[in-house]
Amino acid sequence: MKKKNCIPFFAGLKQIVQIMKMTIFLTLIFSFQVYASSYGQSGEINLEMNSTLKEVIESLDKTSGYHFVMKYDEAILDKKVRVKYTNESIKYILDDLLKNTGLSYKIIDRYIAITADNSLQKVVSQQKTVIGKVTDVSGIPLPGVTVVIKGTTAGTITDSEGKYDITKVPGDAVLLYSFIGMKSQEIEVSGRNMINVIMEEETIGIEEVVAVGYGTMKKANITGAIAQYNAESLNERPIQRVDQALVGQMAGVHVKQTSGMPGSGLSIEVRGSGSISANNEPLYVIDGFPLEVSSQNSSGKYDTGNPLDNINPNDIESVQVLKDAAAAAIYGSRASNGVVLITTKKGKVGKSKISFNYYTGWNQAQRHVKMLDSEQWLDRAYDVMNQTYLKAYPNASENDNYDTRVANIGSFDRTMIPDPAWAEDGHPGIDFVDWQDEIFQKGAISNYQVSASGGTDAVKYFISSDYLDQDGYILGVTYKRYSARANVEVKVSNKITAGINIAPSYSVKNDPGVEGKDSQFHIALGMSPIVSTAAGGAEFYNTGDYTTYTWGNSRNSPVAVLKNTIGKTKNFRTLTNIFGDYEIIDGLHVRSSLNLDNTDSRYKYYRPAFVSGSLSSRKASGRYVGYNRQTFVNENTVSFDRTFAEKHNVSAVAGMSYNMTKLDYNRIYATDGFGTDYITTLNDANGISASNTYTTETKNVLISYFGRVNYSYMDRYLLSASIRRDGSSRFGNDTKWGVFPAVSLGWRLSDEAFMKNAEWLSILKARASWGISGNNGLGGDYEHIAMLQSSDYSFGGNQVVGLTSENIANSDLSWEQSETYNFGLDFGVFKNRLYGSIEYYRKSNTDLLLNINVPASTGFDNALTNIGEVFNHGWEFELNSKNFTGNFKWNTSLNLSFNGNKIRHLGPDDAPILGGSFDINHNILKVGEPMYSIYVVKQIGILSAEDISNGAALYGSEEEGDPKYEDYDHSGSISADDRQILGHPNPDYTWGLTNTFKYKGFDLSVFIQGQHGGTLYSTFGRAIDRTGTGWLDNQIQAWAYRWRSADNPGNGLKGNAKSSFGRIKNTDWMYSNDYWRIRNITMGYDLKRLIHSNMISGARIYVTAENWFGNDKYDGGANPEAVNTSGDDYGGIPLAKSMIFGVNFTF
Amino acid sequence: MILFLTACESDLEQVPISSMSSGSFYTTTDEIEEAVNGVYNTLADYPENEFYLTDVRSDDFYVTPATGSSVRSWDPISNFEKTIATNELVEYPWDNDYNGIMRANTVLNYISTDIVTNQDTYDRLLGETKFLRAFFYFDLVKLYGKVPLVDNLVTGDEALSIRRISVDSIYVLIINDLTDAIDLLPESYSSSDDEGRVTKYAAEGILARVYLMRSGPQLHSDGPCLNSGEYDKALTLLNDIINSKNYEMLDNYANIFGLEYENSKEIVFDIQFTNGGYDTGGEYPGLINSSNNYWHTIGYSPAIGTESVNVSEDLFASYDTLSADVRDNFNVIYNWYNSTVGYSQVDPVVTKWCCQDENTWGSDRYDFALNFPVLRYTDVLMMKAECILQGASGTQDEVDDIVNDVRERAGLSDISNVTLDQLLEERRKEFFAEGRRWPDLVRTGKVLTVMNAWLAGSEDYLSEMPSSIDYTSIINPIPQDEIDIKDGLYDQNEGYN
Repeated sequence: MKKKNCIPFFAGLKQIVQIMKMTIFLTLIFSFQVYASSYGQSGEINLEMNSTLKEVIESLDKTSGYHFVMKYDEAILDKKVRVKYTNESIKYILDDLLKNTGLSYKIIDRYIAITADNSLQKVVSQQKTVIGKVTDVSGIPLPGVTVVIKGTTAGTITDSEGKYDITKVPGDAVLLYSFIGMKSQEIEVSGRNMINVIMEEETIGIEEVVAVGYGTMKKANITGAIAQYNAESLNERPIQRVDQALVGQMAGVHVKQTSGMPGSGLSIEVRGSGSISANNEPLYVIDGFPLEVSSQNSSGKYDTGNPLDNINPNDIESVQVLKDAAAAAIYGSRASNGVVLITTKKGKVGKSKISFNYYTGWNQAQRHVKMLDSEQWLDRAYDVMNQTYLKAYPNASENDNYDTRVANIGSFDRTMIPDPAWAEDGHPGIDFVDWQDEIFQKGAISNYQVSASGGTDAVKYFISSDYLDQDGYILGVTYKRYSARANVEVKVSNKITAGINIAPSYSVKNDPGVEGKDSQFHIALGMSPIVSTAAGGAEFYNTGDYTTYTWGNSRNSPVAVLKNTIGKTKNFRTLTNIFGDYEIIDGLHVRSSLNLDNTDSRYKYYRPAFVSGSLSSRKASGRYVGYNRQTFVNENTVSFDRTFAEKHNVSAVAGMSYNMTKLDYNRIYATDGFGTDYITTLNDANGISASNTYTTETKNVLISYFGRVNYSYMDRYLLSASIRRDGSSRFGNDTKWGVFPAVSLGWRLSDEAFMKNAEWLSILKARASWGISGNNGLGGDYEHIAMLQSSDYSFGGNQVVGLTSENIANSDLSWEQSETYNFGLDFGVFKNRLYGSIEYYRKSNTDLLLNINVPASTGFDNALTNIGEVFNHGWEFELNSKNFTGNFKWNTSLNLSFNGNKIRHLGPDDAPILGGSFDINHNILKVGEPMYSIYVVKQIGILSAEDISNGAALYGSEEEGDPKYEDYDHSGSISADDRQILGHPNPDYTWGLTNTFKYKGFDLSVFIQGQHGGTLYSTFGRAIDRTGTGWLDNQIQAWAYRWRSADNPGNGLKGNAKSSFGRIKNTDWMYSNDYWRIRNITMGYDLKRLIHSNMISGARIYVTAENWFGNDKYDGGANPEAVNTSGDDYGGIPLAKSMIFGVNFTF
Repeated sequence: MILFLTACESDLEQVPISSMSSGSFYTTTDEIEEAVNGVYNTLADYPENEFYLTDVRSDDFYVTPATGSSVRSWDPISNFEKTIATNELVEYPWDNDYNGIMRANTVLNYISTDIVTNQDTYDRLLGETKFLRAFFYFDLVKLYGKVPLVDNLVTGDEALSIRRISVDSIYVLIINDLTDAIDLLPESYSSSDDEGRVTKYAAEGILARVYLMRSGPQLHSDGPCLNSGEYDKALTLLNDIINSKNYEMLDNYANIFGLEYENSKEIVFDIQFTNGGYDTGGEYPGLINSSNNYWHTIGYSPAIGTESVNVSEDLFASYDTLSADVRDNFNVIYNWYNSTVGYSQVDPVVTKWCCQDENTWGSDRYDFALNFPVLRYTDVLMMKAECILQGASGTQDEVDDIVNDVRERAGLSDISNVTLDQLLEERRKEFFAEGRRWPDLVRTGKVLTVMNAWLAGSEDYLSEMPSSIDYTSIINPIPQDEIDIKDGLYDQNEGYN
């Protein structure tokens, strides 16, 4: 087989030559369209007018490329003039226009300030003079800022270094600072001589630029559906992960916190889930580097890392989510779940800026799951024991004491004989325990971050380092992260720019086994809330030399297990990109980048013998698991951006990319315990499990060609079209290549002449798009290939190797396809005091990968086939308003998303697919219904004696006091056939609301989010809310209000504590997953108001409370979004609530 | 650039790094050999699959009446229920046989003289594969009657248009494959490394068995018997085996099932097992005798399972307990000391496969080392007797001699003028728990009379069973899962719903 080394790193030169050939080729294509059209100080302005001076200047403002800043006497401007200029320079025109008007002008870059004659030059020394410097938020000086004394026409503009001086300023004056694209500011002079001002960008400034795939675009010209996260608040809010910050922030971007463990990846779902068995997570692109898509497994974990792991949120400049196919299709076969574009901070030309951020605080469990407390547990234990006793010995009495019972039974039996100590005063020798209190703690968090940025014309840099140290709110849980970043861009020559972004990081997480089935949180909740002192009490129960309590569980104390178990994950990750950009001619760039994401992960697990097993057999267990993942991407693009005839703007990009991911996995499992409890490494293991110890490797390659053209006419009519052709090694031999096209249109109605009169309307833009994208997250790299499995045989007692196919090869296996229509409306009214957008989309995902049943005559039961179809549609609203803009500022932003989800097609016969682990299946995929609808038996009350005599349908040996279930199939008895669809997991709508307030240096923001209309099915109930639970294990507190007798029927939800009919999955474990939560309250104060030092350019102190208030309906667990066991919640821990104090300094 | 990418596009052809895949396999003799070994591997589940769908249905076994969750999968099968299409034990042989057929078709798809350049090796591998494919199809015909015929590799889509075809048409493939195998396979193997491979004579023996089944009275229009009158064809093949002198009856009945006598001259074809945790062990000993307590009593420690099928009193009665039939106590134990409960109890269990030699026990219940005989020389001889009794050329003396040889080894006295019924009775005792009883009854046309006589008895355990069965019980239903895949693709066998 001939093999070529295709990685340019190693086979470089030849490819570079070829890239250059390509460049020349593309240059030829574009250059014949190019003709000169630009403005300059030297000239060529044509103008012929007969009107007022004001109108002439306005006309120049529109056509010359210069912007006029006018603070002058209006009367003069009404003067009629007749002008005719042919190929004249701006200087000539202004000199001519303003002669004899008493006005003068000053040109600074592209801004022209027109002021009363001589006011720019004159310094009137006898008056109070104020000097200062105006910069933007990153410290870069702003020239051309107008500074006016409020209520007068007197003013000035800043020079090229951003400096200004203004004379004759009364001591109590207010200065007004204004600049195009920036928020105007009013500052009281208060007797100061120097006022430095930092101006912030208008968030909806017309020039705002946003990242799109392979480039940037003016926000005003966007025609697809792109959600933006305002990354500024990443610096103002202490969060540990970027995905955590995105919760509830963007319409259509549903971020689910499926785990309460620090450092764990969240699940992001853009516009509903569109895939049944393939990936549902978006593609992440960091600084143009598309990272390997990884999906959450059914345990809610990212086995081989999440793309956002170890990324320091403070390094992030902006986050954009491409939601519709038109925006995302440029990423082709990986785009159907949306694309998250993350841009990190870059240095800017100007003085170096050093910033230091520090925060510290604590976190604790956001809630306790309400379990029976010790008294309630005892009450239930007596109840169950007495019922058992009286049933077996009908002549006995429930008042019989220990000895009488032993005598009646003939021997001791703990199921019918309570511990006499329970009834004694102070229950001697028995500890009442709240296990959640025992395993929860207050965990400390602190974070230190230092960054420096700056630049000259030649070199721009941003470097940062960060250290995060967090103790979880559960014993034994810790998380530490060390990260650094250097983003450096060098202008090699006028034409060539090159840069390198490198971000090494290292994290250490310890999880002693907290979340999920049979993990310590599950155990803590399920353990009886009493232990005997003799058995070690809560802290040492059944560990070391302590055995179990006669009436106690056989588990080990979760406190001891958590404190002594090692479950350490160490991740060392380095993200690197290097790029070079060559500007061939004005507006035509060739760019090439090499990107490498390398992660080394090591997981060590060790649970010592003394906290394992039972007294007679305590054995340590351990394993060592790791992986190395490398994603290498080479991308080469040619891009072009030009405006022709001042009306036609064309920008285009074309390119190719080579994308390769390799994953090496290894694991070693110990068996038979360890030699001692002192050595935790596997060299001390008594044995190594052969079947669980191995290494594997997989690799996939994606090769793509792509292109996009944007065209706008007068920035009013907008068109964007893109296409991508992807070839993936994951696809079958007959379907290696897919093509993904998209088109979108936009119309800025507010720019039309007929809308000009609507003064209140600032922006109105209508958008429509269509596109096709794909999902190549097929679950594995080789799904289309018939793998061979070992099928050995023996001849004459000697083993021989046999190999046979384990699946049907599918040469047609391909991407899942997603087709999206999107309609959007952007609006801004009252000078953008109120602005927002509305989106409507219809998304149909077809060719979904399903393992469908096939006739066994193929040799197999099932085959992976592209066949299913799911439909999502929804509305999204984003609304921002500036309620108050004066000294007291109040801004509100709201997002609201509705999504409906429906299965349209499954296998060849559309047969429903049942799912859900443990006992019978509890969810269903059925045509016409939402995905994973809850499919269980419905509880309709508690069986009364009358019900039973009336022949109510029973499940098995049900009796009076047991739950009453609906006989849905009218068969006369209850069975799995009585299941019905009773809910769906995806919420109908989600929302987020942020209010920010600013007053005199104080700022306050309150962020609330929530979701409604979804249902969750808690398999955790199987542990803590089970019918027929014995007296031993603990249950949720609802069981305190159970049925006790016909006269004491409880609240009608929980039946008799003693039952023997077993259990069938029914609505008792079903909960609404509605919740609302005040996710974050931050209050800050601008210390600059107190510290007047030239050294410090910014200082803020703040306090943040996360997750302190909220409500949900999930009584059977801790986190309504938890996923940890077979796709459901079976022991998810609560979210953390935290209180954090922080300071930011900028020097 | 275009050149660069064209070169790179070959990178899209990735093959698994950590597992073998069909795309890169089947290119050398060794790989074809390994693929053929993989076809043999399908045989591993044959003993228990056969046990549940033949022996358990016969008059040799019954199940204890059970209710609720204690009803086991084999209960409705033993009780001739008509709703067993969804029963997993009805599904297993279907899936397993077709999986073996797919494996054989894979070999046939790839094998060529370009790859296997040694002609002898090529012939052998081709012969083995054809033999095994025929073997799986014969099993399907016996158990289900009409089945879909697949003689190459098919995708799921293609399989959706392959319907069941007549039993006769399946037999065409079976006979062709076995005839080819007889031509291709060696008479014997010299190396002990090849012990257990199929030989020409194994193919002849199975083909003789095929002819006997085809010749049986056609009680069911879709059943395996076609009343074809091919006893002479069978006899010719059986005589060829006998005349080869390659085989002989062992003197001691127990030795046939002894670990140290494996691959003896008694064995014409068997399924080979080895223990030691190589995934080459058998599960059937612990399924045919699934009494956990019995196994523990004899000192076997891994968990086995639950009590399940029971040996019928009819079977005990067939062994003359007053005489010294060595097969009786070897095959079954009636009354034994149960060390778990601490007393002796009457609980007949099959001891044939478990008790001779602890060395056959492995690390767990999937790891038994004992080979399972499919075709013994004794069977070859007795089939010859059957052919003669059914009218093929030969004498009553030949029949009597054969039967008396078998009886002598069992410690019984000679009989004369052996009838077909007597031959069947002798076969029942000789081949107990070897999966022969039910097909013997079917191919002789005695199945309904013998079974209905037994079912009419008054034993308690018969209370759950029907008082009689009809011809629809001769074959099993088509697994419901298969019918459900596509409406109308397969129809259900008569009598089942």
